[in-house]
Amino acid sequence: MSCAIRGGERRFALALFLPALLLLVITTALPLIYLVWTSFLRIDLSMPWLGGFAGLDNYQKLGNDPRFWNSLGLTLIYTGTTVVLQVVLGLSLALLVMQVKRGQAMLRIAAILPIVLAPVVAGLFWRSLVLAPDFGILDFITRWLGLGSYNWLGEPRLALASVIAIHTWQWTPFAFLVLLASLAALPPDIYEAARLDRANAWQRFWHITLPMLRPAIVIVVILRMVTALSAFAAIFAATGGGPGSATEILNLYAYRLSFTELSVGYGAAVATVLLAVTLAVAFLLFSFRRKK
Amino acid sequence: MKARNLVLLAIAVLMMLVWTFPVLWGLVTSLKTEKDVLAYPPSVIFEPTLRNYADVFRGSQSIVPNLISSVIVSGLTTLLTMILAIPAAYALSRLDLPFRKGAGFYVLATQMLPPVGLVIPYFLILRRIGWTDTYQGLVLVYLTFALPFAIWLLVSYFEEIPREMEEAALLDRAGRWRALWHVILPQAKGGIAVTVIFVFLNSWNEFLFAVVLGGNNVRPVTVAMFNFISLEQTQWARLAAAAMAGMAPVIILGLMAQKHIVKGLTVGAVKGGGRR
Repeated sequence: MSCAIRGGERRFALALFLPALLLLVITTALPLIYLVWTSFLRIDLSMPWLGGFAGLDNYQKLGNDPRFWNSLGLTLIYTGTTVVLQVVLGLSLALLVMQVKRGQAMLRIAAILPIVLAPVVAGLFWRSLVLAPDFGILDFITRWLGLGSYNWLGEPRLALASVIAIHTWQWTPFAFLVLLASLAALPPDIYEAARLDRANAWQRFWHITLPMLRPAIVIVVILRMVTALSAFAAIFAATGGGPGSATEILNLYAYRLSFTELSVGYGAAVATVLLAVTLAVAFLLFSFRRKK
Repeated sequence: MKARNLVLLAIAVLMMLVWTFPVLWGLVTSLKTEKDVLAYPPSVIFEPTLRNYADVFRGSQSIVPNLISSVIVSGLTTLLTMILAIPAAYALSRLDLPFRKGAGFYVLATQMLPPVGLVIPYFLILRRIGWTDTYQGLVLVYLTFALPFAIWLLVSYFEEIPREMEEAALLDRAGRWRALWHVILPQAKGGIAVTVIFVFLNSWNEFLFAVVLGGNNVRPVTVAMFNFISLEQTQWARLAAAAMAGMAPVIILGLMAQKHIVKGLTVGAVKGGGRR
């Protein structure tokens, strides 16, 4: 291609790309800069006359705030357990379903239902239909099995387990569908060769399937981590972060600080920490992925 | 061998039950009276009623205005997103775009931002310019997740189109705009339709931005669910009816796009990331 055509193409490409890019910069970069700036301010919507520059006060406060450390810990537990559960369950189910000859299409349709549901509705459905102490199905089952009745969302440890279960329920189908698609795309002749070599099922899984699935698993882990780190609506609907602060991950804490307790400046500091955690995780995952 | 097949079948049935149960039970609950909902043990045989749907669509607790809000916000978001994303994705996937890698990475990174980090500054900014509880305010914020998602999904579809197609069009001196309009767009029709469905679905299901930045005028249906919950009493049957009515559009869209859903969910995964 000649230079003139190339130059024309570049200008054309910019003309097509710039509107979207400018809008993205305006709608994401500017608010984030404003968020970091806000985290250095004292903004108390219940006492607006007290506002002003606060320097690092908000961040110093974070260090001595047990509720913040609790929510940071919960974020790590919530993200870690939900991602591991989704990958392990999704992979096991995909391996099992590969053996099912008929009815895969029905399973795929069933798997799509949780994914398309709004997380807030998933949280409400679980709260009312499954976990409610007097008329929820889970309580009915545990009573029927003679295990007794539990206040699934009212007891701190059970509540944390419950919100982890809700998230896992909603997003395991995602891991399942992606891994099922990658399993189906693996070349069958390599298994043939392994079978001739008398490799047993476990050896075939460990030495053939797992290494070949690794790219897909890495993708699932990355995507699931990002979703878990921005989880909000399902927990908000099921427990609101409670009881007390038992399910208050960083998202919920930043929200409650800013919009329930109205100290927006301090809430912004918590959100800034969350942003840093997310960026750090993303950076780690990306560099890990590039190395492999 | 027989026993093995039975075990597999049992697991498959159990999976389907677990994944569909909350929605199916929600449907059942929406057909009960409030009294039947609270029965113990949970009743399966009861006299079904459409009262809850009548209450949810008419009268003081109607969610029709909220459904309209959701349609307007999601529709406008989808329209604007597609107008901006189609040319951008074409430039990113097919043209000699300066700083292409960096630009692509920036679009990708914006997909990972935690929404709580955006909702706080937007709350302050929109309040200052008087845009809280307005459609333009909410749509602007929705673009932050819809636009990067759409660009990456479209890029993966554009890359599948054989290059010879547009090269032939360009040699014909058809011009770049015409190549995009008459060659690329018709080829990518399926991908564009799937993108429209996903952007609409994600906007429809959004909750955090809607609850903080909406209000009495703009109150999407995801927020309106909480109309049925109060400290004194929760109207479970009506809540279930409202949820079924509010989720019917996305369930139908999801089933329609069923085959493309894996691709949509792993969007950008080929290159590295994504959200939702």
